Amino acid sequence: CTGMSRVYVMADKSTLLKVILLGDGGVGKSSLMNRYVSNKFDTHLFHTIGVEFLNKELEVDGRRVTLQIWDTAGQERFRSLRTPFYRGSDCCLLTFSVDDSQSFLNLNLWRKEFVYYADVKEPESFPFVILGNKIDVSGRQVAKEEAQRWCCENGGHPYFETSAKDATNIVEAFEEVARRVIASDDKQEPLLSTHTVELRRKSRSDPSCC
Amino acid sequence: MVHVYNCHPFASQHIVPTDQEPGLVCCGGDALFVVSAAGCKVEAYRMQGEDCPLICRFSTMGTVHRILYSQIGDYLVTIEEKNGSTYLRAYTNWRYQASERTRVGVRLLGHFLRVPSLCGAPKEQMEIIEMPLSEPPQCMACCALTGDLLVGCTRSLVVFGLKRQELGERLVVLDFEMLVVLHIHNWSPSDVALCAGYVALQTELEVLVVKLERMEKRHPPPEDCTPIPSPEPQSPHESDDFFMFPKHLELLGAESKDCGVSVTLEGTGAELGSSMALTYVLYRRFAPDFFRGCSSVHSAHSLHTLYTLSMLTCSLPLCAGNCEGGREPVCVFCFFSLPGAGYMYSLHNPVQLLSTYQYPEKTHEAALCDQFLYVITRNALQCFSVRCSAVAARAGDPYIDTTMKACPPATMEVCALRIQLFIGLRSLCHDGNHIVLITAVDSESKVETGSTTRRTICRKTSRSKQVCESGYGWNLYVITTVPTLQLYTEMVEYSRRYEQTLSHNSLHLLSEAHLLVRSSLLSLRGGEEGDRAQLQNAFRESCAQLGDCFSRLDRRDCHLALPYYKMSGLSVTEVIQRNVARSGDSTSVTDYGKGFLFFLKHSLYEETMEDLSEETANTVLDIFSQAEPAQLPHVVTSPFMVKADPACVLEHLEQLEVSGAPAVTLTLCKSAQALRLGNMQQYCQQMEQHSEMLQVFGFIEEPKLLFQGRGSSVTPTLFAQHLQHTQVGLLVAAMVALHENSKVKLEEADLFFQELCKDCVDRQSPYLLVDFWEALLVASSQDSIIQELLFRLASVYINRITRRDCTGITALKTAEDLINSCFHYGQPYPWVSILTHLSHCSVAPDNHQEDLHKLQSLLCGPTLDISSVLPLLEQLPDTDGAGVSVYVLCATRLGQLESSLERLLEHCPEAVIPYAHHQLHSHMLTLWWQKLFPELCKRARVPSEKGSVLLTALKETVKVVAMELSPLEFLELLPDDGSAHFFLPHLLECSLRHSQSHLTTHIMESC
Ligand SMILES: Nc1nc2c(ncn2[C@@H]2O[C@H](COP(=O)(O)OP(=O)(O)OP(=O)(O)O)[C@@H](O)[C@H]2O)c(=O)[nH]1
Ligand SMILES: [Mg+2]
Repeated sequence: CTGMSRVYVMADKSTLLKVILLGDGGVGKSSLMNRYVSNKFDTHLFHTIGVEFLNKELEVDGRRVTLQIWDTAGQERFRSLRTPFYRGSDCCLLTFSVDDSQSFLNLNLWRKEFVYYADVKEPESFPFVILGNKIDVSGRQVAKEEAQRWCCENGGHPYFETSAKDATNIVEAFEEVARRVIASDDKQEPLLSTHTVELRRKSRSDPSCC
Repeated sequence: MVHVYNCHPFASQHIVPTDQEPGLVCCGGDALFVVSAAGCKVEAYRMQGEDCPLICRFSTMGTVHRILYSQIGDYLVTIEEKNGSTYLRAYTNWRYQASERTRVGVRLLGHFLRVPSLCGAPKEQMEIIEMPLSEPPQCMACCALTGDLLVGCTRSLVVFGLKRQELGERLVVLDFEMLVVLHIHNWSPSDVALCAGYVALQTELEVLVVKLERMEKRHPPPEDCTPIPSPEPQSPHESDDFFMFPKHLELLGAESKDCGVSVTLEGTGAELGSSMALTYVLYRRFAPDFFRGCSSVHSAHSLHTLYTLSMLTCSLPLCAGNCEGGREPVCVFCFFSLPGAGYMYSLHNPVQLLSTYQYPEKTHEAALCDQFLYVITRNALQCFSVRCSAVAARAGDPYIDTTMKACPPATMEVCALRIQLFIGLRSLCHDGNHIVLITAVDSESKVETGSTTRRTICRKTSRSKQVCESGYGWNLYVITTVPTLQLYTEMVEYSRRYEQTLSHNSLHLLSEAHLLVRSSLLSLRGGEEGDRAQLQNAFRESCAQLGDCFSRLDRRDCHLALPYYKMSGLSVTEVIQRNVARSGDSTSVTDYGKGFLFFLKHSLYEETMEDLSEETANTVLDIFSQAEPAQLPHVVTSPFMVKADPACVLEHLEQLEVSGAPAVTLTLCKSAQALRLGNMQQYCQQMEQHSEMLQVFGFIEEPKLLFQGRGSSVTPTLFAQHLQHTQVGLLVAAMVALHENSKVKLEEADLFFQELCKDCVDRQSPYLLVDFWEALLVASSQDSIIQELLFRLASVYINRITRRDCTGITALKTAEDLINSCFHYGQPYPWVSILTHLSHCSVAPDNHQEDLHKLQSLLCGPTLDISSVLPLLEQLPDTDGAGVSVYVLCATRLGQLESSLERLLEHCPEAVIPYAHHQLHSHMLTLWWQKLFPELCKRARVPSEKGSVLLTALKETVKVVAMELSPLEFLELLPDDGSAHFFLPHLLECSLRHSQSHLTTHIMESC
């Protein structure tokens, strides 16, 4: 076997946060990710096949985290390619397009699919964030209030109205995602503080902290 | 005891500019992969060059617990954890991740996403393949030959086959396919290794190696191909009522089946997996180290490293990804290591322990490559030699361990080539000519870091010092190893220091250096011709040095000087010069080693080599005069000594004679030299010393006096040429004796005489050769050649009689001699001479008569197969008595008496009656009246010059017939043309004798 090695310093609790984008094909999941990570927008994007991800480092409330944003294929025919990767998600971004009422109606289905395949133990407390995209277009079919009501009724999830085209509300939405995950982690694992101390001590060796 | 040589296998060290503390590292394909201590980020660095530039950086999907790189497929595989679950993932096409902003594709194994139906152009992007497993993975290994992946879980092992699909010019899509699952009962591997179908697994104190083989499709594997676990009582894990401390145990080959660890195969339905069979190869168990005062196995005393390694047995280019399991010419090795000792096994037949490494201090980790074993302790990097190339060389070359080729033994003691100090070594990995080390210093010992260790390797960068001073406490080093040839040269120079004092050490070092070059040659692939030429030079040089070593040392294996010198490509002259130069001016006997003398004798007697110059030949004489004078007669007759000064040779021989050595061969040698000098007086004097009989024995002792070369290159010596003209009998007798003593083959002897008689008239079968055949026929008892000789002689005789040769040369043996001395030559029948005398009237030379006699005698002998000579008769005219005699002899021997009678009546009626008397007996008796009588009657009636002869014959015949037949029968025979008066007296006599005998019968009956 070629050069295998073992851990001698056990890694600290990871600050890598897995965030998954779900929603109907064409609602703009890939566009949202591109806008957030690369600050780019493409009017003619191919449908996503399978699953892809990108990392984005950010600092929220003085904490450095890495968001690993998973973009999935929304079209039904790619279902079997995306569902195996729901497991281990820290947050789920349910996305619809405000000019497509069907995509809004489908949010229920998406949430169910996620809870099932991600094997979420307590769906009520799992952090979901809902995005209504393409607010720049005229001919809107889903009202903001309608969407907010849905979020309220389904567990009080935060709701953001975004436009990948105009870069509206994108950064805000993802930072909220990070905050939510950290908050839910702290809730679940009160012992995390010790890890955090450990992390800071080690970070002496990290030049970016100096 | 481990030998420690202070060589310098490490050239330089560089510091890898990582920002974050490295957690895990692995390397391969010139790249170094560093997982940050936090565990979610991988940085890839190029190891070539001084500054180790970053290739790319990418995030993993979870915290990496293990990471491994496979050169085949250029993929990384990780065991990683996220939110409490463990995943097995392969990172492919990672080189596209140069910009971190590129999307990364993720899929499960078996899902090709880039098939044209799904999307247009293939994307150049990194792709992660996740392999779902039913149990959490714990350890993994890649096969260096196939890129296949082995994953160890708590109760099972899974083998994934690597699949490649080319998409366009640059893009390759990889995928994996689950091939087979091995279920292990009550055994959880802590580490695994995979190579060419061999699966190695280890727990804290046990190692098991099994082999997976694809079965031929047409033979479905029989039930017991999947070994049934041996019943519990036989298992060494057995425990009676007591708790048994496990003992040391080593089970090799088939017997490892009884190790008590049960492994069962489960095909996965994948096309190939269903036809796999499993065999046990090796099992080794160690007892826990109680000495250190703990009764349970403590991780500090358990196995820490497991490796399998393959080596090609010949340096053929290997096409990656094209290895049909086990068909490549490879040797496979398995290495595992405890903190105190490491063990290297060859898994090739037979499975055997090659080397045991007794480490001078407790080790943490080891890394193996085909040339070295690297080991780290807390404070040192150690480099040990390995014996893999000695095994691989033998597996690929059946001539090793013969007089043709040699190679140091695979079991030769290993040594430490270098112990290099470092502070706080934590981790080690190896790739090509790089070693990667992680050091981390505990805060207490940081103070001493800078000065003590860092001096030892030349420093190429000063960053590390700053780092130390600023108190980082960890470092990631890439150490470049020196090129093979450089290390080889150092070892050779080093061995010279030992040369005078400790010869065996110098042999050991030279052998190490030799194996180093060998392994380098074995691992060479195509397209490195320059390197190959240089390595081959070094290889030859190393063979020459080993040759020198063995030729000088007084060892039991000193004969190895011969194959090593042969492999060195040195001429014998060069070898002599090397050995003479070393012995210098002092010329005592002991100066020439046994090995050198063995080499010299073998070369002079058995080999083809260059003719030695006069000077060198004389040196050789000096050498043997001192070291082994009894060999001189043989040495001086070696064909390669032709240029030796004959006077000088004679001088040496005379000295030997004075010392009372056995005489005949020596005298013959002296004669040969006198002949070379042209001193005929001395020659004759020597030749008269012994009888020819004794001289024949002399030639048997040293056949090279007469001829040199073997097979088709046999050439007669000057001596033989001289004997041809002076003592041809001796020459022939000597060759016959050589043949009968198996010193020369018949074809070689033929060639010898043909060569001697090159200028004779009859090039095909010169007289001398015929003389030899005749003499051999007289002497030989070898049935196999007798028929051959008889046939050859018969054809020579026939040929000569036909052509009426008259060379005037008389043969050594006359027909009379042969008839008297040789069983195969019969006494010619009486009637034959009548025929021969008849033809004698026509002028024929004497030797023609001799040949005819010999032929007739052969035909009358008991051994010659008559039918075999029939085709040869075609050329022989049947008009004269000689020809007729031969034809009739042959026909008679074949039982064709009637035609023979006709032929005789036709050509030589004088011989008919002697012939009839001699041949017409018993059941042939009837021919007298059935054939001869009517023929004679018929012919006698026709008037001819032979009329009276015929009439006489007829009378004689009638007489015989009258004796044998009853009067009535006789009467019936008589022709009815009225010549009764001619027959009447005979009829009367016949009836008289008949009634007499009747009477006698009556009288007898009445009594
Ligand atoms: N006007 C406008 N168009 C958008 C916006 N976001 C996305 N689009 C366009 O909508 C189309 C589909 O967007 P994608 O990002 O590919 O949609 P998706 O959700 O990734 O679709 P799938 O990959 O099939 O699941 C593209 O042509 C985008 O240019 C937006 O905020 N405003
Ligand atoms: Mg998309």
